[in-house]
Amino acid sequence: MNTITTVSRPRWLSIVGLLGVVGMGFTVWLGLWVTPPDAVQGNLARLLYIHPPIATVALYWAGGVALAGSLLYLWPRTRSIFWDRLAASAVEVGAVFSALTCVTGSIWGRPAWGVWWAWDARLTSTALLLLLELGYLALRRVPADPAVRARRCAVAALLVAVDVPIVHFSVDWWQTLHQTGTVLDPGFHLHVHGSMAWTFLLGFISFSLIFVWLLAVRYRIEVIQDTVGDQEMEVSLADRWSEGSELVGIGSTSHQEPDGGAP
Amino acid sequence: MSYVDAGYTIALGTVFLYAIGLGLRRRRWERALKVAKDTEEPVVPGTRS
Repeated sequence: MNTITTVSRPRWLSIVGLLGVVGMGFTVWLGLWVTPPDAVQGNLARLLYIHPPIATVALYWAGGVALAGSLLYLWPRTRSIFWDRLAASAVEVGAVFSALTCVTGSIWGRPAWGVWWAWDARLTSTALLLLLELGYLALRRVPADPAVRARRCAVAALLVAVDVPIVHFSVDWWQTLHQTGTVLDPGFHLHVHGSMAWTFLLGFISFSLIFVWLLAVRYRIEVIQDTVGDQEMEVSLADRWSEGSELVGIGSTSHQEPDGGAP
Repeated sequence: MSYVDAGYTIALGTVFLYAIGLGLRRRRWERALKVAKDTEEPVVPGTRS
């Protein structure tokens, strides 16, 4: 069983979190004050220093960890509660970033496209990703045996993961309002240069580090929750056993023979 | 407030609030674990009177 010692705070986690926050600060500084306005979009392009990194975390990092964790849980040889907890943590953090992807994209879309929202393939599949993640989190709250819950959630995470390539390729498969690759095209040719490119890169790294930090913290909460749940379950079972033995004791004494048979 | 300012505020503010929320949740569960450990040690069924 997990104990409090297994959820102690590792030093590397604090360093990752600190680097993420510092990187984020530099991204904001470079994005808002140092980089020049875009030739076409003007200052609006500054939103793109955070929107694609947030979408990257939501789609590839969170989706990838959830998929890997769930597959490794479902695979009998690698089945471990660790993978279930990791996938659950990734989905929750991913849901936050998916929601932010929709919101920041919408804020950019209003002045750029003239609408807050359009039912195009990229936006719709991203909204679907968020709904699937919320569904996963709802499913996780349904009371069940831990093994049953883990198996159900692993299957649900596979459904979440199915949507990830759809979101990624939506701009290639369908004619969409959303532009194709923002930073790299399918031939891996860079579209951004100079200080804009460095700010983009820093944004990607910073949000990725923050994702790792959030994932680790969320994972630790999952461990503690399970530990408390186990502890309460054991106490509850012990109480039941105790009450049961007392009742059996009372029952057997009430049926004692007049000659005083042992209970 | 411009669209850019709104976007940065919402994005960074949400991540910050989520991180704070995680920290508070972790503290609450750590306290719950401590209470669960302190109040009653698990017992072997049938050994309690």
